[in-house]
Amino acid sequence: MKKSLYFLTITAFLFLVIVPLFSVVVGSFANNGDVSFKNYFQIFNYKNFSLLLKTVGIAFCVSIISTLNGGFFAFVLTKTDLPLKNLFKLVLLIPLFLSPYILAVSWVDFFIISGIEKNFIYSPAGVVFLLSIIFSPLSMIIVSSGLSNLSSRYEEAGLIVTTHQKVIFKIILPLIKPALISSFILVFILSVSEFSVPAFLSVNVFTTEIFTQFSAFYNYGSAVANSMVLVLICVSLLMAERFYLAEASFLSIGTKSHTVKIVNLKNNFKCFFLFITTVYVFISVFIPVIVLSAQAFKESTEAFRQATVLLVPAIFNSLLYAAIGALLLVFFGFVFAYISEREKIKFINLILLITFGIPSTVLGIGLIKFFNTQALNFIYSGFWIIIFGYLGRFIFIAERLIANSIRQVPVSFEESAELMGAGFFLRIRKILSPLISNGLFGAFLISFIFCLGELGTTILVYPPGTSVMPIKVFTIMANAPQSLTSSMCLFVLIITTLSLSILFAGQKVLSKQQG
Amino acid sequence: MNIFKLLLLANIFCIGISGCSKKSQDEVVVYTTVDQIFSEPVLKDFEKQTGITVKAVFDTEETKSTGVLNRLIAEKNNPQCDVFWSGDPVRAIILKNRGITAPYNSAAASDIESHFRDKEFHWTGFSARARVLVYNTDLIKPGDAPKSILDLTRKQYKGKVAIANPLFGTTSFQFAALFLTLGDQKAKQFLTDLKKNRVVIATSNGDVKRRVASGEVWCGLTDTDDAFEALKEGSPIKIVFLDQNGLGELINPNTVSLIKNSPDNVNGKKLIDYLLSRETEKKLAESCAQMPLHKNVRTPAGLRSLDNIKAMSVDYDKAARKLEEIQVYLKQWVEENQ
Repeated sequence: MKKSLYFLTITAFLFLVIVPLFSVVVGSFANNGDVSFKNYFQIFNYKNFSLLLKTVGIAFCVSIISTLNGGFFAFVLTKTDLPLKNLFKLVLLIPLFLSPYILAVSWVDFFIISGIEKNFIYSPAGVVFLLSIIFSPLSMIIVSSGLSNLSSRYEEAGLIVTTHQKVIFKIILPLIKPALISSFILVFILSVSEFSVPAFLSVNVFTTEIFTQFSAFYNYGSAVANSMVLVLICVSLLMAERFYLAEASFLSIGTKSHTVKIVNLKNNFKCFFLFITTVYVFISVFIPVIVLSAQAFKESTEAFRQATVLLVPAIFNSLLYAAIGALLLVFFGFVFAYISEREKIKFINLILLITFGIPSTVLGIGLIKFFNTQALNFIYSGFWIIIFGYLGRFIFIAERLIANSIRQVPVSFEESAELMGAGFFLRIRKILSPLISNGLFGAFLISFIFCLGELGTTILVYPPGTSVMPIKVFTIMANAPQSLTSSMCLFVLIITTLSLSILFAGQKVLSKQQG
Repeated sequence: MNIFKLLLLANIFCIGISGCSKKSQDEVVVYTTVDQIFSEPVLKDFEKQTGITVKAVFDTEETKSTGVLNRLIAEKNNPQCDVFWSGDPVRAIILKNRGITAPYNSAAASDIESHFRDKEFHWTGFSARARVLVYNTDLIKPGDAPKSILDLTRKQYKGKVAIANPLFGTTSFQFAALFLTLGDQKAKQFLTDLKKNRVVIATSNGDVKRRVASGEVWCGLTDTDDAFEALKEGSPIKIVFLDQNGLGELINPNTVSLIKNSPDNVNGKKLIDYLLSRETEKKLAESCAQMPLHKNVRTPAGLRSLDNIKAMSVDYDKAARKLEEIQVYLKQWVEENQ
């Protein structure tokens, strides 16, 4: 049974994502019917090298800042008794719901309205600033998921002999190292492949080169060859991680149902953390939202009414596709994470990373070329092509999150059950899945958010006449009045926040029933 | 109920309620790079008049309106689209050169000047936009505004002029047309001078409009529809048709093409006829200040007609070829400016 599940999942993934991508990559080695490395030789020049250095530098800074930010807020909101922490948890996610491009426009408008020197925002530092705001919530979710799986026993034991500070640095941080490293890697890859923010801020990065080859020269071979450089960087990062974590042990879930140890903050610390969190929420969330609201309701509520009329028909499709996408991602993510962590076939991570590192446009072109045939037209002309796009884009994220959770569960739990005669599916259902439910939920949540906002691949494959929210916002915003564009963004924000509130509430009810 | 059962149930529910899309018999598929806010009402009217369902794929400014073109190129071997409605002739010419379009000589375009039609009928032009200069009236007095594109290299405009990235869209076409009319040497000199004058490269024409309206820069080059949209929003800007005593302004017609081996050629031709009609030109003149190419189409007051503008004399095919020729130079120029 186990092997059948592995076989079916891997085969499906190969067919849906890998083969379409492979066909595009192979195409980059073709030149007038011959095998050629021309596209690859062209990459090696001083200009590309300096561009790459700049891109990696920006991505490195963003990853460090986001992981520090996200790690700090994950700790404060998961491990302390900070007032309003559940509300903060939701509000801090908001930058992730807005498209990076929209967020960049709002921030530039803020700099102009407030009269602050705008040279800062139109610079690599501005890109780092904006991308850190955008990706910090992702780090927060990843680290929170790691913290939620920590058994309180380790901390309690530590607290008997030492202080809170030492417990944090000597017990908690080492135990959540995989989550911190995952956060760094994911944010790095997302930053290195981000195009819209640097382009809007007139900062030339390596993805600009890829985009130019695609969109000005229509030279897919060269674009794919350039994107392979980014993939190579991401792969070396994964190798470094494997080397670094090879000998470490991260088991942390106790033998009994584990509870998160909550630190009761003293009043002065409570005030301090509350102040820091409020200031950060103001900067990362309120400023762009205030700018959008001011633009949306500048004259009347008419623009918002119009936005509602335009977007209401797209809500159902968008939520449905995102939900299906997220469920599929959790399923595939779980199977791949299990293969990687329990069967120790780490090669699978590499394959998933390559799909993640390849730009969304390349994936879109691959899906078109593979599925747009007479035989597979039934897939290409329906909504499933969008879902397969989500699968290719975000499977690495889902797999990483779930793998981190599986890594924290001792394999002996499953082995004991196996000795008692429990089959594979029973072990998964009764032992593993309850213990990693937080990780599964985190993976679903992030997948859902990313699917809901996906634009790069969807714009290339969405069936004619289909309406999904990000596509609608971006196709309408060209030449639409600013008030309408801002209203649409606010509307998407409201719908996403509402959906996530429902998901959070559902998770609470479920965990109460289980607890 | 554990999380696995829940996920499984939810998956079955989602798949169950979302069936495969049924293809209607009477429909036409159109891909367009024209802003949805202007193109969608026209397509809806076509639906109302003919009863033919229009399934549209629109493009985004974020992808410089090249998403649709990339899609058409990738779909070449099994076309899904019947009609391509482009905001400029360049994309239509690229598709023709790649063998993606088919000839169609629509009777609806019989009185449109041959200059705005492909000689082999792979594309036909209608409703045109002009490249114009917009300037912020709080920062430039009307008398001081530039009158020629060459004025943008004057010292007084140092760091105060914005243009969209010349590798994309109508800006790329404008630069190709400049190379044709000025000659390579003069055009390159103009670009060098622009660079020396620290021209700001915006992401799109919409971004140029935004930067001028907000006062980030004093003036910029954009299309008439962007400029009129800014005026409608009450932005402090004015429009200048440049080079009216010299080179003339570049006129960019919309174009429509039939896709080769498209799924529904008959409905595709019906849609093309409709887009090329006077009725469509009138609607586009009202919604986004596009200038009709048919004679005697009633246009809103204040909208200049083509007869009142000195147009740049340019052969669109030659300009498209020129663009291919200068793209590497333009890329280098952009990179040196950023």
